Amino acid sequence: MSTVSETISRGQSARRMRVDGWRWGGRVFLVFMLLYTALPMIWMLLTSIKSGFAAMQFPPQWWPDQPTLDSYQKLLDPQNSVGQDFLRFFWNSLIVSTATTILSVIVAVPAAYAFSRFTFPGRNFLFFAVLLRNMFPAVIFLVPLFILMRAIGLVNTHGSLVLTYLTFGLPLAIWLLKGFYDNIPVQLEQAARIDGATRFQAFMLIVMPLSTPGIIATAIYSFIGAWNEYIYAYTFLSKNEQLTLPVGIQRFFSENTTDFPGLMAASFMMSVPVVVLFLLLQRYFVRALTEGAVKH
Amino acid sequence: MAHVVLKDLVKTYGSFKAVNDVSLTINDGEFVALVGPSGCGKTTTLNLVAGLTSVTSGDIVIGDRVVNDLDPKDRDIAMVFQNYALYPQKSVYMNLAFPLQMRKLPKDEIDKKVREAARVLDMTQLLERKPRELSGGQQQRVALGRALVRDPAVFLMDEPLSNLDAKLRVQMRSEIKRFHQDLKATIIYVTHDQLEAVTMADRMAVMNGGYLQQYDSPAQVFAHPANMFVASFVGSPAMSLIPLEASTANGGAVLTSAEGWSLELSQRNARKVERATTRKVVLGARHSTIKLHKSAVPGAIPAKAYTVEPTGDVTFVQAFLSGAIVNISVPPNVAVAPDEQIWLEFDQERMHLFDSETEMALEAS
Repeated sequence: MSTVSETISRGQSARRMRVDGWRWGGRVFLVFMLLYTALPMIWMLLTSIKSGFAAMQFPPQWWPDQPTLDSYQKLLDPQNSVGQDFLRFFWNSLIVSTATTILSVIVAVPAAYAFSRFTFPGRNFLFFAVLLRNMFPAVIFLVPLFILMRAIGLVNTHGSLVLTYLTFGLPLAIWLLKGFYDNIPVQLEQAARIDGATRFQAFMLIVMPLSTPGIIATAIYSFIGAWNEYIYAYTFLSKNEQLTLPVGIQRFFSENTTDFPGLMAASFMMSVPVVVLFLLLQRYFVRALTEGAVKH
Repeated sequence: MAHVVLKDLVKTYGSFKAVNDVSLTINDGEFVALVGPSGCGKTTTLNLVAGLTSVTSGDIVIGDRVVNDLDPKDRDIAMVFQNYALYPQKSVYMNLAFPLQMRKLPKDEIDKKVREAARVLDMTQLLERKPRELSGGQQQRVALGRALVRDPAVFLMDEPLSNLDAKLRVQMRSEIKRFHQDLKATIIYVTHDQLEAVTMADRMAVMNGGYLQQYDSPAQVFAHPANMFVASFVGSPAMSLIPLEASTANGGAVLTSAEGWSLELSQRNARKVERATTRKVVLGARHSTIKLHKSAVPGAIPAKAYTVEPTGDVTFVQAFLSGAIVNISVPPNVAVAPDEQIWLEFDQERMHLFDSETEMALEAS
């Protein structure tokens, strides 16, 4: 009798121990991941509100003695040359990323819809061909694309970047959206067409609203990709007034002596649009990535 | 309302013929069921009428127009889908209003018609809900409402009941039938369930393998199946089909089983067999036309009960004859045990004879 109950209780506690072990392991891992991702951001923010001298001290000031927003003021002031440059880079990045995003949605939506709804010769081949580009590292295309851009006179234009980013972003956008359209029953469109809509109206009035989450996810993906891209922007653009933020910041702030607080403030502001965009639209993004995983 | 005519309708996908020379006339106000097993071409036929699929050859006439090349929206039809196809982002009200908005009706008229349809279908209190907040039966009603709100020439229904549970299905079945009687609507109704077709339709078109097998009233199809497929498809439990050898001698005819027993045919049935081109004949008999005896009777054929299934109202007994399963129904007070020796007597008036090669029913004259 007693041996039986002992065995049971020992079994239970052993199981609890094991569960707790995993749980604690998981917590430690999560904390580590949090620090790993958050610490650089925190350090970026802290450095951006230090003076130039304080930023270079060793041992470092963990918390700035005299926090200052000087760097931000300098960057956002259109009167001085630093501010002018920064705001121009920001504007350039915004134009390139927005143009990429809009074009990518305009192309990806009908393309994905066609792949999802129509059968046409070469459909499968084309669909996988779309992915082919993604099988190679982006850098491989740097020189060929540069030569191509030079040949068609697009070097030193934002158009060269938009075109390039589109070729990178579109494949995934089309795949993502196709999955979305696959999950929208074709009967909805048929019903709409019988109810009096043309094929195009059925798409615009019924299918498009249903695929909004997918379109938003696609847009975010394209925007972030274009916003952060460095290598191509660095290669294709050489005129100062055309640079995008990643290249601009890097070039500008390390030209003579590195102004760390300025660099960090600029980096921080560069991350703001992405973070804001993501926070606003994240629920659509998550929905888009998980849609179709479960049948409704 | 309008009549619908299908003339030599053909639809092929590559080398696959989904619909083969189907010709049908559906009268104004008639309820016609297209029925057959899955893949028989019934849904394709409906999609052809709807204009969701293009016709390979043949003509579709709705009212007095050939509609082959018209868009679905211009055919003046309404359709109820198996999965209802309600617009998930729209409220019930907007779902019902959509066909009217597409036709650019004035707002107050739309409102009037939507509320009228909602009243008829008893769902006024559901108008502000989204489809996902409705039960299956309610969704089904909204789909029906969206079809009737527009007063179309023809209603097309693609297995509208098959997503409902059994009890609701029976209830909606009578509602749709009532709906047809009240509206005098022309309805083409696709189903794989022969019971739905038999209970609801004025006429049923039985299809198999892309071919129209028989087109007649349920009673006629039931009583005079044109071929073995129709015979076995319509009716539950299925008609028993027993392969036999026919022989004629001095005016009479006898069917002989490989098992040794034989069955003498009536005059009328003997004439049918004489006209056949083959000696291999299939005897068809519905469960209710076979009499079960517990002792030997002249003309009855000995068999062994295989399974016994009481259903309450009636007990179904299965037996094997000439290698075919034979269903017999007996009153519940008749006790039959599995493996019990029984004798089966066929009703000569209500038996069917088929040519085993062409599978067509044999006719007396």
